[in-house]
Amino acid sequence: MKELTFAQQFALIALNAQDSLHMTTVKKIAVRCMAAAAILEWAMEEDGLQSEFSTVSKQDVENAAAFPHRQEVFRALLKKKGAVQMPLPELLARVTHFSRRTLKKIEHAFSDPLKGMDLLEEIPNLLGCDMDYDSASVTMREYRSDPATYTRLTEGMRADVLEDGEMADETVMLLWLLRESSCIYDFFSKEERKRVGQRMAELHRANRLAKMLFAVDIHSSLEIAVKNFLRSKKEVMETPTGIGLDFVFPFLERSQSVFIDIEAWFENKEQRLQDVEARLTKYGHQYTVLRRGAVPLIQIDNVLYEAVPTIRQLKVPVQGMRLRKYPL
Amino acid sequence: MSRQRSIEKIQASDYVSIGELARLTGCRYSTLKFYTEEGMLPFEQPEENLTRRFPREEAVARLQEIQRLKAQGLSIPEIKALLETKGFHPEEF
Repeated sequence: MKELTFAQQFALIALNAQDSLHMTTVKKIAVRCMAAAAILEWAMEEDGLQSEFSTVSKQDVENAAAFPHRQEVFRALLKKKGAVQMPLPELLARVTHFSRRTLKKIEHAFSDPLKGMDLLEEIPNLLGCDMDYDSASVTMREYRSDPATYTRLTEGMRADVLEDGEMADETVMLLWLLRESSCIYDFFSKEERKRVGQRMAELHRANRLAKMLFAVDIHSSLEIAVKNFLRSKKEVMETPTGIGLDFVFPFLERSQSVFIDIEAWFENKEQRLQDVEARLTKYGHQYTVLRRGAVPLIQIDNVLYEAVPTIRQLKVPVQGMRLRKYPL
Repeated sequence: MSRQRSIEKIQASDYVSIGELARLTGCRYSTLKFYTEEGMLPFEQPEENLTRRFPREEAVARLQEIQRLKAQGLSIPEIKALLETKGFHPEEF
């Protein structure tokens, strides 16, 4: 496993499955948090996590030549000034004011070196497998983090958070970034989130870094509201084979509900799965079938999906499998 | 204030935490926890309140062995029985 900086590790987690061509609301949240991760990584190296003031100067931009992501974040913080000095929480809060254009530059400063290390790649978006997009030849692309590295990072982080014992500074910072990017739901189940809440409360009482960080908000309320709305839609409806409003009204958020048309009749579940696999292979997705049967569970590009047999009522009914993001 | 150990340092140390074991092997946390609770992975826990630590070399070799047996189609109870007949007794750790 390659040694990555803290911010690069977070970027691999944050960029996975994000639209690589457009600056979506969800990606804006992720890139802002990546910028904050770059500031924290620098402060940690300079032993400045507990300092009263942090100073970023043009000299820091030059010194960070080996880390393009840090350089880009420093440039955005400095603008035309020679130096900025303020407490670390205020410096972190500056990322909320970064423009769309700045965020795009920061995204590339992170993604290009990671691509160079073969840890990040751009692949066709899973939605491209959907019958409508497949037949219309629409191009959509998304990021995919190297699956082995992604698993090592996320599972290591989960273990550090859920197990008893002292938490390293990196884990405390990661936990805060996950909270700010509203990603805790992606990595911890409902039951585990109770434990995460307890751990965060313990940290807030006993850990100086956590006490300082947990008081800082770097998210835009509107952006988080959009992201939470998309998630809450999923939790509205529950059926024996899956939960979510998407399941009933899949047109509301297509990225969470991909319809793959199949040739086999419903009775033949193996053939149905083969058709889904063929479509995924055609678009270059990496997948592992974790559970077979009537409703297979498939891990596609680091994300778990259930494939539910269904029919789309068009002029002629079309049989298919609907891939739905599997709730943790 | 404590820093995370680099992969290089983890690879050179005798004992690792469950998080470090996940980083080293790429195994899921839930899988490692399950194997540990089933007595399939060697670990030490000096006192009840202290965190478990795993002897790195033995734990990684054990995980590779379990994965190899799983790939051969053996079930978890079968793998557990086989590990015991091969002389692996977790209480020795």
